[in-house]
Amino acid sequence: MEGVADDGKTVAIVAGLIEKATNSTKPELDPRILKAIKSVVRHSDSELRIAVENLTSLMKRDHSQVRYLTLTIIHELFMRSKLFRTLIVENLDLLLTLSVGFRRNQPLPAPPAIASKLRSKAIEFLEKWNTTFGVHYRQLRLGYDYLKNTLRYQFPNLQANAARVQQERRERELRTKEILLKKYELLKSNISSIKDEVKSIVDEISECLEILISSKEENVPLDPIDEEDFEDFRNIELRAIREKSLKEADKVQENSENKVVFDALRELYKLLVTKHLVAVQESISVLIRVELSDNRLRDSMLKEFIDTRNHLKSIKKKCEEAGCVLSTPENDEEEDIWEEGASESFTISKPVTRNKQNDIPECSNSKESNVKMKVNPNLDPLKSKLMVEAPVMKWGSFLDNWGSDRGHMANQRGLELESHWGRVDHDAVIPADKIAELNVQATVYEEERKEIPHCRAPLKKGGLCERRDLKVCPFHGPIVARDDAGTPINEEPDLNNVSGEELLKQAVKNVRERDKEVMKKREYDKKELKRAKLAKIRGHNEAVLRDAAIASTSASSSIGDIDLDREKDSLAKMLKKKATAKDRLAARLLSRKAIARQKDLEDDHSKYREAFPNQW
Amino acid sequence: MWKEIGHRESGKLRPNSFINRIRSNRSSSLQLSNHKEIVSSHRGSINSLQVDLTEGRYLLSGASDASLAIYDIQRATEYEAGGLIAKHKPILVDKQHQNGHKYAISTAIWYPVDTGLFVTGSYDHHIKVWDTNTTQVVMDFKMPGKVYRTAMSSLATSHMLIAAATEDVQVRLCDMASGAFAHTLSGHRDGVMAVEWSNSSEWILMTGGCDGAIRFWDIRRAGCFSVLDQSHSQLGRRPPLADPSTTKVSTPKARAPHRKVGSGSSSKHSGNSKILKHAKGSANKRLHPGLLTSQDRATAHYGAVLGLKATEDGMYLLSAGSDSRLRLWDIQSGCNTLVHYEIVRLQSSKAIQLAVTQDSGIVFLPCMTSVKAFDVWSGKNRMTLQGHYENVNCCCYSTHDQELYTGGNDRQILIWSPHKLISDDVDNCDRRTEQPSAVDEDNWSD
Repeated sequence: MEGVADDGKTVAIVAGLIEKATNSTKPELDPRILKAIKSVVRHSDSELRIAVENLTSLMKRDHSQVRYLTLTIIHELFMRSKLFRTLIVENLDLLLTLSVGFRRNQPLPAPPAIASKLRSKAIEFLEKWNTTFGVHYRQLRLGYDYLKNTLRYQFPNLQANAARVQQERRERELRTKEILLKKYELLKSNISSIKDEVKSIVDEISECLEILISSKEENVPLDPIDEEDFEDFRNIELRAIREKSLKEADKVQENSENKVVFDALRELYKLLVTKHLVAVQESISVLIRVELSDNRLRDSMLKEFIDTRNHLKSIKKKCEEAGCVLSTPENDEEEDIWEEGASESFTISKPVTRNKQNDIPECSNSKESNVKMKVNPNLDPLKSKLMVEAPVMKWGSFLDNWGSDRGHMANQRGLELESHWGRVDHDAVIPADKIAELNVQATVYEEERKEIPHCRAPLKKGGLCERRDLKVCPFHGPIVARDDAGTPINEEPDLNNVSGEELLKQAVKNVRERDKEVMKKREYDKKELKRAKLAKIRGHNEAVLRDAAIASTSASSSIGDIDLDREKDSLAKMLKKKATAKDRLAARLLSRKAIARQKDLEDDHSKYREAFPNQW
Repeated sequence: MWKEIGHRESGKLRPNSFINRIRSNRSSSLQLSNHKEIVSSHRGSINSLQVDLTEGRYLLSGASDASLAIYDIQRATEYEAGGLIAKHKPILVDKQHQNGHKYAISTAIWYPVDTGLFVTGSYDHHIKVWDTNTTQVVMDFKMPGKVYRTAMSSLATSHMLIAAATEDVQVRLCDMASGAFAHTLSGHRDGVMAVEWSNSSEWILMTGGCDGAIRFWDIRRAGCFSVLDQSHSQLGRRPPLADPSTTKVSTPKARAPHRKVGSGSSSKHSGNSKILKHAKGSANKRLHPGLLTSQDRATAHYGAVLGLKATEDGMYLLSAGSDSRLRLWDIQSGCNTLVHYEIVRLQSSKAIQLAVTQDSGIVFLPCMTSVKAFDVWSGKNRMTLQGHYENVNCCCYSTHDQELYTGGNDRQILIWSPHKLISDDVDNCDRRTEQPSAVDEDNWSD
């Protein structure tokens, strides 16, 4: 007994839910309703059967939107329930006919945009079903095969694509592995010669260095930096520079005596950096990446190479200390050096500007640095105060003589107008006040850059309106704040949201007010009387109408009904063809009136032609 | 089923009836087979299917792209999805054979005696006899028009004639022994769509034409001896043949059948002989019934006769016409039995191939994209086999496996088989180490 009653109740629930879910103009299903359907269907097979019936009948509706939403529900259930699959698969050809529309005598119904979406989705779903459950259902395989091989539908081919990409990657990896192996073999055969070469160059370099060092005189040891100096150089970089410059003095200077040695050293250094170091580096990377069955030989080789590299690096350092610098910028090592230098110079230049603190503040030209100055706590309070006041100026040549009151030489080069050289008047001077006059800075008002918000009204084809208009979007009206779904957030309370009683109160109040006004006005003006009466009647009518509207149904249900009606309207509206500008124009131009007018004109013209046949 | 096996064990059931029961049980539960499929090599619609009569193992198919193929339906060529799906690939394909057909093959039949020969007929006006083993054409008959159907008698011991239904009004019999036309049977007023040999006598031929007439011919005599008339009817099945006297009582409306069946007409049906003799006696008065216009103009269907199929016991004939009717005829009396088959829609442009189960219990009829299974005696729709995506042209029932093969315009040959026994599935699951069956389960995420 109870079971039967239960069934009866839930049946209504499932049918209602499906009806509700598909009766919508939104591009996607309401996830909450979908979840409800799933949970209801999950617990009883009889409901599942009814759901299948419902869904198949909905698929036959003459509206692509309904079919589309139904198909999404079918897909959701198909991926989950076995019973659902067996039931759906029995009539798969019908389902495909209604969703793909491959039969010529049964094309997909009205809104064409949604119909094409429906078709592509159906094909995608079919492919997914086939890859997941094709083994168990011959019908799925048949349908897939028919659409693919007989009707030549283009399937998205997701799985095959993924497989292909993976295959390609695997092939690429295999190829690189092969190449690495080849390189390794080559390296194995070449290792002795590489070693020899490296050894010879190392020997030569060390010889050169020895010569240089032996020729060097005894140098004064580096005097330690005293404390006051330390105070001066707040910055560690600066100190480093200082130390560097001190060391510089320590170096052997190139002169006519050891020029030959230096040349040779430079040559060798270049060779070392550009050829051997790179080669060793490369072979190390090859050894690291190569995959071998026997790793012992490789490990030993790797060790040797790393040793060589370290050795080479130390030698390189020595060379650099001795004053060899490569000038070719394309080299990797060279680039590293250059980068170091750059960063160094950068770090140096900044503290300099900061630490100088003399007459810069007036022309501090960037806002950013200004802010930084403010933040900096160890600044002079007066300076910082000035900094806050200081104007923000654009960079220009006038900053060169900021605050100077000198006169300027006029035309001391002799360049006259129109690109002719003329007489030079060495004494011509532009006075300072004139200069100041000339240098008056005109600033253009710059609007603060503000992001113009999107319209964000929901579009029919899904998504939100991307237009950025200041106040009014030409398609969706005034721009208001909207949430993610595109519905306005703080809409003014409209009829639907106001309860019936409030409405009534408002209406009565309105009428009373009007009555009062009328009373007042009657005293003043007789002419106004008529209008007032009219207004009264109007107000009364409105009130009556509203009363009638509210009285017809209970307030709560009426609101829901209005919503539903609107939905239905829009579902039906989707089927209607939109009147485009062209249609409107055509209606205007081809209307009977217009044609008659045209005819009249022609008649006039022909009359004229008859009357004056010799005039054109 | 277990009960029946128990009965058989205890001897309550005779072996034959036991077999028949199992067979009819199986044939009434056909569904699209998931475990066995034929990989069709054809690129056009499949017009003809036949399983060979000797071994019940080789399926011959002819298609619109002038190709024909033979499939081994007992042994699969390869397995897929861990042995779950057996794929049957063609063991013999003939495409663009130098001596092959030029246009669509409309019919392909096995030589009934062995699988060494088969016969094909095509829209290029030729009937060809092939040697299966060498795939060579050994004989070629030029017909006056498109060939719609060919038939060979499975009982024949004294002749090897191919009956050919063509566009032409005359039915020709091609003699494979001599390579010439043995007979030209004229009587139809339009092309002939269907042809079928009797299953009770090797000399009786039945043809159905586009003029809506079904004619019976005795090939030993000139002219047709009977034309089926749809208005000439009897109600239901005749009572058992053992009691001929009641037959007459129960069918008083039935006129004496006009047929001359020779003395050699099947010794199996000895019970028939009395009726047949009686029939002969009455027919003696008119030597050429075909000349009687009132008789000659009788029609079996309003429209063309698209397919003919005689039941296994040779007593009944099923005919399908372009008027979308399926009719059951009593061959002996030539009467329409007035079995009302549920109304379906048939494609009307092509000849179709019907199939009947061995015990004449179920007839399979291709109706547009589906195949319907009707109870032969009550006309009720037992099953609707839906799987093809375009019109179905032919179906063929394998009595050996109780399987149905259907071919359609969507180039597929589908196998419809009875439920697999549960034990089979369990075995399969055990054999497969990985479990694809686990995939096909409920999978509720929330």
